[in-house]
Amino acid sequence: MFEPIFLAQQALNGVSFGALLFLLASGLTLVFGLMRIVNMAHGAFYVLGGYVGVVVATLSGNLLLAGIAAVLVVSLTALIVEFGLLRFVRGQELPEVLLTIGVSFVIADLCLAIFGGDPQNLPVTVKIPGALVIGELTYPWYRIFVIGVALVIGVALVLVQSKTRIGAVVRAGVDDREMITAMGVNIKWVFTGMFVVGAGLAAVAGTIGAGMQSILPGVQNEVLLYALVVIIIGGLGSIPGAAVGSLLIGLIDAFAKAWIPELAYFTIFLPMALVLVFRPTGLFGRAA
Amino acid sequence: MNRRRVLNLSLLGALLLVALALPYIGATSFVISLTSTILIAGILASSVNFLAGQGGMVSLGHAGIAAASAYGVGWASRQGMDTGVQVLIALGVTLVVSFIYGLLSMRTTGIYFLMVTLAVGMLVYGLAFRLSSVTNGENGISGIARPEWMGTYWTFYYVVLASFVLVTAALWVMGRSPFGASLTGLRDSESRMRSLGYSVPAYKLGAFMISGLVAGFAGLLAVWHTGFVSPSSAGVDRSTHLIVMVILGGIGTLLGPLIGASVVVLVENVLSSYVDRWPTVLGLIFIFVILFARAGIAGSVGKWIARARRRADHRPPGGRGSPVSEAVSDSNHSEEMNRKDLP
Repeated sequence: MFEPIFLAQQALNGVSFGALLFLLASGLTLVFGLMRIVNMAHGAFYVLGGYVGVVVATLSGNLLLAGIAAVLVVSLTALIVEFGLLRFVRGQELPEVLLTIGVSFVIADLCLAIFGGDPQNLPVTVKIPGALVIGELTYPWYRIFVIGVALVIGVALVLVQSKTRIGAVVRAGVDDREMITAMGVNIKWVFTGMFVVGAGLAAVAGTIGAGMQSILPGVQNEVLLYALVVIIIGGLGSIPGAAVGSLLIGLIDAFAKAWIPELAYFTIFLPMALVLVFRPTGLFGRAA
Repeated sequence: MNRRRVLNLSLLGALLLVALALPYIGATSFVISLTSTILIAGILASSVNFLAGQGGMVSLGHAGIAAASAYGVGWASRQGMDTGVQVLIALGVTLVVSFIYGLLSMRTTGIYFLMVTLAVGMLVYGLAFRLSSVTNGENGISGIARPEWMGTYWTFYYVVLASFVLVTAALWVMGRSPFGASLTGLRDSESRMRSLGYSVPAYKLGAFMISGLVAGFAGLLAVWHTGFVSPSSAGVDRSTHLIVMVILGGIGTLLGPLIGASVVVLVENVLSSYVDRWPTVLGLIFIFVILFARAGIAGSVGKWIARARRRADHRPPGGRGSPVSEAVSDSNHSEEMNRKDLP
């Protein structure tokens, strides 16, 4: 239970699950930061991305192609949702959230109708084969690949946010919507773009995540809970917060599942409760 | 105003009479049982409606409270305890769980409140799912018997009906008490109430305890109704269904929760045998209501009646404070709440 190999294995499990959580939570937190919407359909986007990814990967045998297809399908769905529904309730906090709940119902149910209720996984052939071997420790390359993808995407998001014009527009939109509108930026389209990007990140997480844990009906709620806990701990709207929160929750979850499986959910909830009590804005959050 | 009250009261009386007569006018045991389900869901939705309509706190975790209470009964019955002890345990569990919910959510508003309650609800679900020594895991606890004197389906139906009437009346009175008025004040402006010297978290905690108590009571009735409790009864889907009921029926209205509960329960239990994709139907109804009928069914009907009467009386459209706008002010609660910006 406390052997070094076991601890290292669990630590790696935690980090790789944390990486997946980061992919999932970063989209949610970005959308919230800019649009002040908690997108309750984020879990459904993850599941949709996972299903499309699995189907395309099985057909083509190519993970990259599967990822691209998933991002395209989910982004298009998100575009329709944003353009066809959310725009009509813009700025009204509660209806926005409730609308995404309705969307989540519909997407999850249609996924069940199209892809069936059986658990789906990425086919073994598209995953990176083999395992890393260091002495007695063996660890699958695929999970290390997931950590790599999360690192690359995380760094890219931070760079885009801080170094590019698009990032500047988004940051300005977070700080002062009216001012950025007055400067000639159509904030409506910035919102739409951000919602689509957030959904795309969920699709990436879904496709890659399908190689770690099965996609099946009901998973949308579970991943949504994890993502919410992560962004509550990290602070809503903060990418570094999402990174720290994901890592924390990933590690806690891995060790808790190994040591005290009966209380597995309780252990991810406890840090959230502590953060809420002592620092309600989250570790990296700003007072709204 | 007066005529409207008479109309409302006679409508309520007629509804109650039909409900009372139901077992005698040839309703089958299936219909009675379905009506019981609707009434229990209506009680649970009322508890959500009290928080949302009165206090502006939209909870996405109330199914967890009801389920915790149901699990209390289930666990006690598995230990072979008698009914009185079972009820006491359900009450204790409900109070503890509601207190935890309230404690964690009392400093939050709006979206944050929603997320915290959602997370706590998922925690209850997780415990129900994993803590199998107490909850029997995924299989849930079955064979929970209700007290003998309400053993037949129709005596139980009357118990549920009486419970619904009592709870609705109690929440109505509570809403019009000084405490209820303070909650409405919190909903409309927290900072104003704080500067008036009110302890905002304490009021929120109190409101949550009341609402939680009602939810726990509904959980008790539900487990007596079906004799069964499983993790899915604590799930997010159930909690979101409750929100759907409240919004669909009309947030902040007296009978909205019952109307919403009827629609959702009927879709879930009756439509589902004809249409496989009933969750899609439910989702689409929900989206439609949010986009086009924000006041819900009860609220919208109230508005139409007011508008029709206005037209019939050839009165100019009433401004703020006129009798007409006062008559529909109940149904405007949700809009007022929605207009509130983030803290």
